[in-house]
Amino acid sequence: MTAAAQHLKPGFADPVHDAQRAFRAALDALAQPGRRVDLGQSIPGLALSAAMAHLLLALTDDGSAVWWQDGGAATAQWLRFHTGAGVAPTPQAAAFASILEPAGMPALEAFTQGTAESPELSATLLIEVRSFNEGPALQWHGPGIANGCGVRLDGVPPGFWTHWQANHARFPQGVDVIFTCGAQALGLPRTTRVSRVAKA
Amino acid sequence: MTKPTAATVATVATAPATPAENSHRRRWLAVLARASRAELEAGLLLAGTLPAIETVRPPEVGMTMLRGRVGGTGDAFNLGEASLTRCALRFAGGALGVGYTLGRDRRKAELVAVFDALLQDLSHSETLWRNVVEPLQLAQQARVEAASRAAASSKVDFFTLVRGEA
Repeated sequence: MTAAAQHLKPGFADPVHDAQRAFRAALDALAQPGRRVDLGQSIPGLALSAAMAHLLLALTDDGSAVWWQDGGAATAQWLRFHTGAGVAPTPQAAAFASILEPAGMPALEAFTQGTAESPELSATLLIEVRSFNEGPALQWHGPGIANGCGVRLDGVPPGFWTHWQANHARFPQGVDVIFTCGAQALGLPRTTRVSRVAKA
Repeated sequence: MTKPTAATVATVATAPATPAENSHRRRWLAVLARASRAELEAGLLLAGTLPAIETVRPPEVGMTMLRGRVGGTGDAFNLGEASLTRCALRFAGGALGVGYTLGRDRRKAELVAVFDALLQDLSHSETLWRNVVEPLQLAQQARVEAASRAAASSKVDFFTLVRGEA
């Protein structure tokens, strides 16, 4: 028995319904950018937030490699056990990325952007932020947002939004992001325009 | 820009168990998977009181492809699919026990996993091996031998005594 298997944590408590709920939440988050969605209980003993863990369990399978910012190890083993998802050695090879420290994340261009013929092959980034209530005020516009939507994200590096503009300009290519914080998630698809709100 | 393939995906490195441990474990898992649910329930009574179970993967039913070879030696082909139930659990702080069994008996898969976890635990393995696995193995061998003897006694050998012009 290996040391890693000793520490394997459980997955979904109710695999069918929890996976459906998490998938629905991911769809809602990307259909209505800026709106928070709830993803249920955290998994005891796992070093991932509830939202990050549930999204990884619901979205990945043995055909989608995950890039782990911290190299993975225990969490990669856990995901492989439950969904069969492999580990991507580089961001370029990843279908999904798990980022727990956004301050040290690679540039968005480093991830798979998809091709003009198949833009759906781009990567989806799951980024854990400290809070959805603090941080600089942002205004989001685009498909799925009626009249602009105010968003605050704490822990996203300042340079991220410059890279995001370039990512948005690359449409239909470009990566999609789902921010997670505890049990909540918030989608940022490549169609969304982000502007900073000037301080009063 | 290409879709990640299996070749580009690194595997998670783990320290492999020794071959002796593996073959020992393979033997008890095979015996347990072939045992009936009633036999396993009876064996569980011999294990005494158990620590709390932490379910890592609740019993779930799936399918597996059965592969066959013509005459046991020919080319491999897909014989058909069979339903399969699997389960993984662990006793507090102990080793991970896994159970795979043909059919849709969730409780049986759970029992196999319980025994697998216990048999990896040195304080239980000796008694369980002697009182549960060995008797089951002997009973299974006896059943196989009885069946092959019954088949052998009804075997008809066709042969030609004389052929050609008399």
